[in-house]
Amino acid sequence: MVELKPEIKQIGPNLTEISWPTQMVGELLFKRIQIEKAIQKEFCNYIIETRAGYQSISIVWKKKPEMEQLSMFLNQVQEDSIQLDFNLWEIPVCYDQILGKDLYAYSKAKSFSIEDIINLHSESNYQLNFYGFLPGFMYLSGLNPLLAHPRKSVPDRSIDAGSVAIGGNLTGIYPQNSPGGWHVIGKTPTPFFNPYCDPPVWAKPGDQIRFTPISMAEYERMSAHPKFPKVV
Amino acid sequence: MIKDWTFAKILASGPGTSIRDLGRVGYAQFGVPISGPADLQAFQWNNHLLQNKENDAQLEISQPGFKIQFLAPTLISISGALSKVILKNKLINNTGLQEINFEDILEIGNIESGSIIYIGIKHGFLSEQILKSRSLLKGITKTFQIAKGDEVPYFTNQEIPLLNRLSQVKWNSQYLSEEIVRVFTGPEWDQLPPTIQKSLFNQSFHISPMKNSMAVQLEELISNEIPGIASAPVFPGTIQLTSGGKLLCLLQDAQVTGGYPRILQVMEDDLRILAQKKPGQKLRFLLVKN
Repeated sequence: MVELKPEIKQIGPNLTEISWPTQMVGELLFKRIQIEKAIQKEFCNYIIETRAGYQSISIVWKKKPEMEQLSMFLNQVQEDSIQLDFNLWEIPVCYDQILGKDLYAYSKAKSFSIEDIINLHSESNYQLNFYGFLPGFMYLSGLNPLLAHPRKSVPDRSIDAGSVAIGGNLTGIYPQNSPGGWHVIGKTPTPFFNPYCDPPVWAKPGDQIRFTPISMAEYERMSAHPKFPKVV
Repeated sequence: MIKDWTFAKILASGPGTSIRDLGRVGYAQFGVPISGPADLQAFQWNNHLLQNKENDAQLEISQPGFKIQFLAPTLISISGALSKVILKNKLINNTGLQEINFEDILEIGNIESGSIIYIGIKHGFLSEQILKSRSLLKGITKTFQIAKGDEVPYFTNQEIPLLNRLSQVKWNSQYLSEEIVRVFTGPEWDQLPPTIQKSLFNQSFHISPMKNSMAVQLEELISNEIPGIASAPVFPGTIQLTSGGKLLCLLQDAQVTGGYPRILQVMEDDLRILAQKKPGQKLRFLLVKN
């Protein structure tokens, strides 16, 4: 594998971003997570928090170390020595058109049958890259390119919490009611964010998500007692 | 000393009144905005004067017509924007410490300079703490703003605190009319052509009506040929350049990642200048070396 060296950018006195020239998804995501953990460990007395994106990690400093120190650390770090442990989660999704409000229009636009869409969407494992956009919103990679579809030009005023949707080459779940421009193809009874739990989410970056089709009856039964999911 | 629970009743409030403490530090990894005070220095000043803990919660008010009744004695401190402050139907100092007696009614009238006022209280307001913070936010706390009829708890000592007026420091409100906002270059700065880079510093920008606790949008358009970026971390003070050429300055309730190029980052000390501006007011950016 080509050696990917991150670039260090200083953004003001207490903000540093390290970035890679490519998206750190798939196998590369593990490297990003390992480096993030290694930085947190090495500079634990200097850091307030780190945030991640597809190609970058931002570090908020309590007190900033010398940048040569960070640069040297990134050159030397043996990130593979950091043990990672990931889970696979099964998320029930009801792809009924009553809940998947855009499913019919989306299937027409894509020239796929609804059954094909359900099969394509639920046969892949998706990788959780990081959280962003809304509390508990997962940036997932792994959508079958056949399902990619441009976002709506005019976003919907409100999309229900639990809606499973496709926008561009991404799929995701709205953790709370929110305006949004993605095509809603189904709904899950599983809560994705609970502010009364700490941590308020159940999955961590690097974990995998799988969608399992359920009937309307099952959806209604499970919605009555929403629970965080279990590891497969 | 006796420390009893009591309440402040909200008798009137415009939209956008909030409770703020220093926010949810460390929860960005779950997609949770920080939700600290928009004007950190004003917030810190109140808690300092009240000899509170630095994280003690305060009211953040951004509309005139706010009216609150304190049920029991306490000490409050006001800072931030300058407004007409009325206590028991009498005009009082619009910043600094103020003793409150049983059932006193405090009103915030016209906001004359700036746009956000902080009311701190001895021992802090005691609304519900969610994810280690009392700051109100949609999707996190039960309500996302303070409204008429709400009762906000606080501690009282059951007696009017002694206040040494001579020892009071004055609130320096000069920053409310400051037009220079110091900025650093952001991660995507190098992707802007030099002519555009220069144009950001030799013109004034006006605050548009699109201003809330998540972001403030500026009126003037900047030509933008940078494609969107793969979602990346953003912070309060990050200035994004949207695909339509609008400048979006993120504030304390902004989401934690964004897909627009991040061209500038406002210096933390100057974020309050931006936050206190009203729609129509202007500012200029001054580049500071990273």
